[in-house]
Amino acid sequence: MSLLAVRGLTKRFGGVNALSEVSFSVEAGDVLGIIGPNGAGKTTLLNCVSGIYRPDAGEIAWQDRTISGMAPFRIARLGIGRTFQIVRPFPSMTVRENTAMGALFGQPQGRLQPAAAVKEADEVLELVGLGEKRDFPVLRLTVPDRKRLEVARALAMKPKLLLLDEVMAGLNAVEVEQALGMVRNVRESGVTIVLIEHVMKVIVGICNRALVLNFGKPLLEGPPQEVLRDRRVIEAYLGERYAKQLDAGTGKGPSTDA
Amino acid sequence: MIARVRRVPVRWRRAALVAGVIAVLLLLLAPLTSTDAAQQAGLPLITDKLWFRIATTVAMFVVLASAWNIIGGLTGYASFGNVAFFGLGAYATGALVANLGWPFILALPAAPLIAASFALLVGLPLLRLRGHYFAVATLGVGVAVGEVVNNVRPLGASTGLFLPIVRSDLLFFYLMLAAAALAVLTTRVILRTRFGYGLLAIRENEEAASVIGVNTTLYKVGAFVIAAALTGLAGGIFAQWNSFINQENVFPVTANVEMILMAVLGGAGTLFGPVAGAVVLELIIQTLAGGGSASVYSQIGLGVLLAVCVIFIPRGVIDFFGGRSRLSLSYLRRTLRETSA
Repeated sequence: MSLLAVRGLTKRFGGVNALSEVSFSVEAGDVLGIIGPNGAGKTTLLNCVSGIYRPDAGEIAWQDRTISGMAPFRIARLGIGRTFQIVRPFPSMTVRENTAMGALFGQPQGRLQPAAAVKEADEVLELVGLGEKRDFPVLRLTVPDRKRLEVARALAMKPKLLLLDEVMAGLNAVEVEQALGMVRNVRESGVTIVLIEHVMKVIVGICNRALVLNFGKPLLEGPPQEVLRDRRVIEAYLGERYAKQLDAGTGKGPSTDA
Repeated sequence: MIARVRRVPVRWRRAALVAGVIAVLLLLLAPLTSTDAAQQAGLPLITDKLWFRIATTVAMFVVLASAWNIIGGLTGYASFGNVAFFGLGAYATGALVANLGWPFILALPAAPLIAASFALLVGLPLLRLRGHYFAVATLGVGVAVGEVVNNVRPLGASTGLFLPIVRSDLLFFYLMLAAAALAVLTTRVILRTRFGYGLLAIRENEEAASVIGVNTTLYKVGAFVIAAALTGLAGGIFAQWNSFINQENVFPVTANVEMILMAVLGGAGTLFGPVAGAVVLELIIQTLAGGGSASVYSQIGLGVLLAVCVIFIPRGVIDFFGGRSRLSLSYLRRTLRETSA
């Protein structure tokens, strides 16, 4: 039984197929990377899984139970947490209060009281490295810290599966390294992860599988190293001409650096 | 959180608390001097009809502003249709008393019930809208309900409904005061529970709230229904107090604007902000209500005041109490930056 199984998922916006016939599955313990050029449908895919969009066709199954079309809050309480690419904190609250909200509402096993939620928030904040800044108002946080907070709030839900939408985007090399450490910590704590990322170092460094989307269609799935060397993937990212150069041996291979 | 709080000397706080308690007690007990027994005992009469009129109106607006605060301040849905709940509550009680001859006290519970049921009905579609769309749609509902009621014959149509007069300033003052206390207490309970935190999350970022597990539809409708029940209750009391209701006096859109002003000026989303806003603003309005050019100028003044306050003290006057902020030039500069962003 897969933790998450997506079968033939299709989502249309007007005449555009944002996703067409996407299928993949996530097993417990996986770190699945979803890559693809801008507009490939990566975020749309996450929005479908977390219930923000209702798919037009196909099925999303969570532990063999269909969840497509369910309200976001129900999906959240099943144990699926997510972050947003453009962070969405609760701006008037502190870091700790923001995180506590995840514990207060998102936990599958029941109803916490506010005091207990704050306690759990503190534990999560240590894990993501925001422990010392827990009393900061959100507006005082730097961009990398806001991304951490986004992860913390989702983690406070004690999810089985965490969907991360570009948590590394906009970070510099040092910050990416730190964020990578954080994601590793999360994995070690036993959470299955699906992450969207443009930073290939992250894909290679932490994912055990990668799924490539292009124009809403799955292009390829496999171990990250192989996927990134595939001609079709290079074509999708860098164009046909570059791929031809590569064939002719004049270009350099895709860099695995950030 | 702890780091942000500026220390206020303890004895100041204590003095303020004592002064507050004394003021409230005086206010609560003053009306009793108007009873026959007190008069015979030779107590000074410090409350006359006008005093009751003003005090009861103030208490009524405390209810309205606090109720609006639950949907507008805590949940972030600026309702311009709360006046419909007031009117429906007034007509629910009014019709039972005037048409069916029910005693007022038995007819009163119908007010919050009818108002809340209506909120449940319209809340589901309305609360799918956000921002300006919600504001405009609720405004429409408020006006529409008034127009409908104005054309229903059993409800007196455009003539309105006349209720048998109950001559007791004291009764209505204390009833309205009790409703105000109920509104404040309800807000306080909400603020300390999961429900309240859910409402705040919705206000701050609804989509984020939904993906961390907040049942946004249920919470929004819940807040709307609670606000409607409280507003309707005030309407029910008003109907008997005024003993005459028609479209003009129970569905005035201006009252809706007033309750928003009070909540926002006092401090939307806080417990006592709307209370302070209601008391101060309503006293100003009542004082200036003498008529003639004074009332016109007062309207203009209120408008200007609102604009200035929204720009410079967006968190309301209440922000200056409790040691969080101090009114200073740097505060104004900071809030100006916040509101103009």
